[in-house]
Amino acid sequence: MNQFDVIVVGAGNGGLVAAATVAKEGFKTLLLEKHNLPGGCATSFVRGRFEFEAALHELCGDSTCEKHESVRTIFERLGVDVKLYHEDTLFRTICKGENGYDAVIRAGYDGFLDSMEEAVPGCRESVKSFFDLIGEIDDAQTFMNENGINPMVLYTKYGNFMRVASHSAKEVMDALEIPEKAQSILSTYWGYLGVPVDNLNALHYLSMLTAYVKAKPSMPYHRSHELSLALVRALQGFGGEILYNSEVTRFVYNAKGEAIGVIANGKLYYAKKIISNIIPNNVFNRSNRSAIPAAARKLANARKLGMTFNTIYLGLDSSMEELGITDYSVFIASDPDSRKQFDDRGEYGMYVVNCMNKALPDSSPKGTCTLFFTIMVMPGDFPEDLTPQEYKKYKNKIAEKYIRDYEKTMGVSVMDHIEEIVVATPATFARYLATPDGAIYGYASETWDNIIGRIAMKDGENKIPGVYFCGGHAERGDGYPSAYITGAMTGEEVVNDLRRGK
Amino acid sequence: MAEKGNLGKFSRADFVRIVANRVKAISAGKNAPVKDLYSYAPNKLAAALHPHVQQLKVREIIEHSPDMKSFIFAPDPAKGTEKLAWFSAGQYIVICVKIDGKAYSRPYSIASSPRDALSGEMRITVKRVEGGVVSQYILDNWTGGTEVIASAPLGEFTYEPLRDAKTVVGIAGGSGITPFRSLAKAILEGDEDCNLTLLYGSRTPEDAVFSDEIAEWAKQCPKIKLVNVYSEKKKRGCETGFINAKIIKKYAPEDEAYSIFLCGPQAMYEFADKEIETLGLRRKFVRHELFGEYFHPEKNEDYPGDIEKTYRLTVRIGDKEQTVDCPANTTLLRAMEAAGITAPSDCRSGRCGWCRSQLTDGEVYIPESTDGRRMADKIYGYVHPCCSFPLSDVTIIVPPTPYGA
Repeated sequence: MNQFDVIVVGAGNGGLVAAATVAKEGFKTLLLEKHNLPGGCATSFVRGRFEFEAALHELCGDSTCEKHESVRTIFERLGVDVKLYHEDTLFRTICKGENGYDAVIRAGYDGFLDSMEEAVPGCRESVKSFFDLIGEIDDAQTFMNENGINPMVLYTKYGNFMRVASHSAKEVMDALEIPEKAQSILSTYWGYLGVPVDNLNALHYLSMLTAYVKAKPSMPYHRSHELSLALVRALQGFGGEILYNSEVTRFVYNAKGEAIGVIANGKLYYAKKIISNIIPNNVFNRSNRSAIPAAARKLANARKLGMTFNTIYLGLDSSMEELGITDYSVFIASDPDSRKQFDDRGEYGMYVVNCMNKALPDSSPKGTCTLFFTIMVMPGDFPEDLTPQEYKKYKNKIAEKYIRDYEKTMGVSVMDHIEEIVVATPATFARYLATPDGAIYGYASETWDNIIGRIAMKDGENKIPGVYFCGGHAERGDGYPSAYITGAMTGEEVVNDLRRGK
Repeated sequence: MAEKGNLGKFSRADFVRIVANRVKAISAGKNAPVKDLYSYAPNKLAAALHPHVQQLKVREIIEHSPDMKSFIFAPDPAKGTEKLAWFSAGQYIVICVKIDGKAYSRPYSIASSPRDALSGEMRITVKRVEGGVVSQYILDNWTGGTEVIASAPLGEFTYEPLRDAKTVVGIAGGSGITPFRSLAKAILEGDEDCNLTLLYGSRTPEDAVFSDEIAEWAKQCPKIKLVNVYSEKKKRGCETGFINAKIIKKYAPEDEAYSIFLCGPQAMYEFADKEIETLGLRRKFVRHELFGEYFHPEKNEDYPGDIEKTYRLTVRIGDKEQTVDCPANTTLLRAMEAAGITAPSDCRSGRCGWCRSQLTDGEVYIPESTDGRRMADKIYGYVHPCCSFPLSDVTIIVPPTPYGA
């Protein structure tokens, strides 16, 4: 009963897709989850008469025109049918101060370019040249997917791809002579990847941005929890099994150093292959030291953990119209420079406020609305010596600070209307995700650890026989689509290895 | 394709450096075990605030009456709990007991203050419930030194300064005084900053446990006010009758907003809610402690079943499957308990979701007022067994219970 073909550890976005992918091919699959819910961050919670989205701002990749794997292609393949609602506006971006701006940017290439031109007259052509690169990038990626990395062909045929892939988004925008202000607006989404544009790989940023621009941002009606449950249903439909409240405390290896199983709830489960949706650090700490190759340890120690957040969830006792809230997604920055925004992240550098009612009007009871604040935090920012008895005050101080700033910036009144409030910090994410430092984005995908390097080196790293990785810490970096995609790719890799008896 | 703009100034050869840079950076990494998870500040704090379980020992028992006792717990380091968890006044712990080999769990409000927890003390007050297996057992069996397994502090019946008015009018009925005792003491000790005007309803002064103690704190701290309301006795300086709108108005602030917090028996909510409605307060200013277990679903107009019937409940936990009886008037959770099946449960009011299970076959009735499920759970067939009554034979997949009884 305890023998499986594949055990997937962690039912986050990556783990859910990986488990469903292998189960679909007829392999006996067990998905073990420490929490009593699936999804990891992709979940929701109820307070009073509100159900809050825990994490998702907007999903990208719900598009049939993707050349590569996307949320849509994965869901279709797994038979996951969740209706997604689309939002016409990408974001409103506000920068306070003298060189500030306040622009509403629309989705779709034309909408995007038009609204950029409105915000920064004369920028259209240069911004367009930025997006034009994506065609060649797509072609180069297709070529690499099919033929591997052949530098000579890339060099001659995909020159711009090679140029862009090894430079930061900032360098590329400079080279394309995009005006400074347009660059700032164009960089608004840097927080979705957690790295300011001077350190963020151009190809990585451009791929994400175009995915949003091309297919309008979307979201499920019943919060992310619906996506997670739909994936669980797919897994179960393929004969797979999910076990909640079952934290894997130990990875078990044979004398040859091959993973042969895991221990959860004191019980040993055997499997031919193990897919870890949990971060390598946690796998290493739950494995015999001798099972982990030195190279894998060195990699983990060399890396920086990725971004995490303080989040504030508000249920308000008035509608967004009554309160004068007009936007789904507002990015508020104190400086046009993303590096400065990053450095000042504890002092209003940049935060995002979402009002789901704009996109889904009846997402809360009539006469109410919800707000969701996302404030960036880097691992190491959380106070080392904060005691349990100071914690509630600490949370409320952050909440008060950002709610007041939002009220002032937007000219609306929120504080007096709070009917429900929940404040989450890295400690909350540490509790539910059990990642080191409460990291949400896995490892920071910056400088040498950018996703190009990760993808290029994928087959040579974290080589523990019998263990495969997927999720935000894997080669595609953070974000729902990235986690789903690595889940699908890892699932397929495991299927192939099992079939080949590898 | 020709290079765009000035991209030509970037060397294509830079591309090959990506891998070289990566290899170099990794080789500089330390060949040492990665840092322990609990060496990170957020993980350390999360573990302190939310231990999986609290291993406790009864240190002292205070007998208020034969049918009501307070139990003061200390941590049990021999069992692995060095410190009690910090909490917010108003929260509860779930007590796990084994009676005749069957695992039961019940939520009890913490009556002591958060600061008491720091000095190794946590208190609950247990009142005998007619027909209540667990309260009877506790009152009749626990003695000094009894080992008790409890959950971490849970619940949302807490004062939230950004949400609630500066003054809380507490309406307590009977043993519903316990979370207010905790809040009053937290105010006295400086851990909560609000005014508490406590309207405490009891039958007679003899029934009003903690009244003298809270009155003493009120003398020491101007933020705390206590008004005893006796339903069966007149006493000077106290109110008589049930807590109604007139009494609330008399003691509530006149010209500023106030929040009402209610904790007591269900009959009190029914009476008080109607009274509060006449005050015209905004919804955000009225907050209830959990409703508690639901009985008599057949009283609801929308109940579609036959309450006399008994159904078969099949429970799958991991690779174990068991089928037991579940009468129509009994929640799936109670039926599991009665059959000796250990299932997760915390609030027993349909709200917290800890008992969340997958309904794979059959139909259940969930009273609307206790249905605290997520929207998607309703669509995809998940239920909270603590407030689900069978309407047919039913099969559920229940998560294992890794901690507790």
